[in-house]
Amino acid sequence: MKVSAIAIIVLSLYVGLGQLDALSLKTGIYSPVFGGAVAGLVLGDLKTGLIVGATLQLATLGVATYGGATVPDFLSGAVMGTAYAIISGRGAAYGIGLAIPIGLLLTQMDILARLANTYFQNHATREAEKGNYEAVERNNLYGIIPWVLSRAIPVFIGLTFGAAVVKAINNWIPQWLMNGLKTAGIILPAMGIAILMRYLPLKRYYPYFILGFALMAYFAKQFSLLGLALIGFALAAIYVMNRRKDHQKANSVETKQSTSQPKHIENIQNPNDAIEANRVDEEEVEFDA
Amino acid sequence: MPKKNKEQLKMNNLTKGDLNKIFWRNTLGLQLGWNYPRMQGLGYAYTVMPALKRLYKNKKDKMKQALKLEMEFFNTTPQMSHLIVGADIALQDELGMNDDNEKAIAGLKTGLMGPFAGVGDTVFVAIYNAIIYSITAYLCMSGQALGLLIPVIGCAVITWIRWKFFNIGLSQGKKLAFAFSDKMNLLTEGASVLGLTVVGGMIPALINYKIDLTYKVGKVTMSVQGMLDKIMPALVPLAIALFSYWILGKKHMNSTRLIFVLIGLGMILGNLQPICNWIGSLF
Repeated sequence: MKVSAIAIIVLSLYVGLGQLDALSLKTGIYSPVFGGAVAGLVLGDLKTGLIVGATLQLATLGVATYGGATVPDFLSGAVMGTAYAIISGRGAAYGIGLAIPIGLLLTQMDILARLANTYFQNHATREAEKGNYEAVERNNLYGIIPWVLSRAIPVFIGLTFGAAVVKAINNWIPQWLMNGLKTAGIILPAMGIAILMRYLPLKRYYPYFILGFALMAYFAKQFSLLGLALIGFALAAIYVMNRRKDHQKANSVETKQSTSQPKHIENIQNPNDAIEANRVDEEEVEFDA
Repeated sequence: MPKKNKEQLKMNNLTKGDLNKIFWRNTLGLQLGWNYPRMQGLGYAYTVMPALKRLYKNKKDKMKQALKLEMEFFNTTPQMSHLIVGADIALQDELGMNDDNEKAIAGLKTGLMGPFAGVGDTVFVAIYNAIIYSITAYLCMSGQALGLLIPVIGCAVITWIRWKFFNIGLSQGKKLAFAFSDKMNLLTEGASVLGLTVVGGMIPALINYKIDLTYKVGKVTMSVQGMLDKIMPALVPLAIALFSYWILGKKHMNSTRLIFVLIGLGMILGNLQPICNWIGSLF
């Protein structure tokens, strides 16, 4: 099966748009689960797309751009993986196996886009010195071009030569490798979970973690993640209420002299110290590539 | 948070249209020009430009000063940036641009972007994504495309929160900072409790690996997975998650490298039966 020209163009534009969404509103069309679904819909097999997209989404749950770090492009991975699964007719597992290496391979495109924007930044800096505010505005908008192209071009190429790529894969990649990649797709959610365990204050609140695990492990049939989220929300609310009560007690014991003064900018020179001390765990994960 | 500003705030010079424009530029355009030297700096200048135009259109020196200030290095969680933008333009609306004010705003921006990113990345990125997208993927896995609506609804809620943040920033102006950070801290703690509960549940729910290995004892075929299940359900997923957690704490380890480790592990686990058969054939 060949991918039609229209489908290629639609999907290339889609991943570009997805990247813009990831930078702005975050409606969700940038997420791999959407990518798989859209690719599946365009190529006429929604079900395969949903499975590829959802599996990839789970595999990359904790992977997000913290502070501008570059992460693998799993949206393009989901789109291409779904497309290859449908072209080859070998099912979702095949697509998942391919989507992960594709996502990893495209990591560099993100860095390229961010580097390209430096050109617009330098231009804007020069114009700002002259007071030319319109040029500053324009140069920010020019940033759209590298962002979109960095996603659209690889997908365009990958889908244009889709049939040839699939043939090459079938000829060159042995079964054990595909089995391994498939299994990797299944255990990869552990990465996202591990990132979150590192990111959240696990050592302080480990009982909640155990509670969530036990509920889900032993009552998997009666429970869903949404149900667990509700329980988690209730626990969080109870926790906040208790903390607030403690705060009020502590405040009423103290004298009230310092509370009524409004705080001015002079006082907030470095709030980092106060907040960083309270923030999550001391150990942090490196998220950059 | 004060409740007095139910309606749009009265500004001295900025119109309601300016404020709306700034909000949407902030939401849609803050990261379009993201680059390594200044990160969101270019997008920030783009965001506040309607205010600058209104205030300094015919004052070239002030405009230059303001442009330089607003295009400085900036980076924070986009969802939190509205608070800073709001406070920034409220200050300029009231006081205009001069050397003292420039210092004050520079202090506000650089002082708040760090702590806000700490809170924002935890609440709006880590916990929000984990919960929303695990549920979405969970539904889609079983073929229910309607699950895709969940992030869209989440986005609507977040956009509303962003709008609230913008207005808090506008009304609080310089008073912002500590008072708000304290409240956010408690919220982050609560969100962490919610997050960890769900993360614990994700291990059995999302890692669906079952050991595909059987061996024969006399005439009975035993399944390794069946035996492990008797000890504790989701034992292997828990082991894989704890292993990943442990290895992520090692030096020089990051999430991308962990992917390769897990792919390697997948290669072994996916071919367990052939590997065991091969080892068995050696004896």
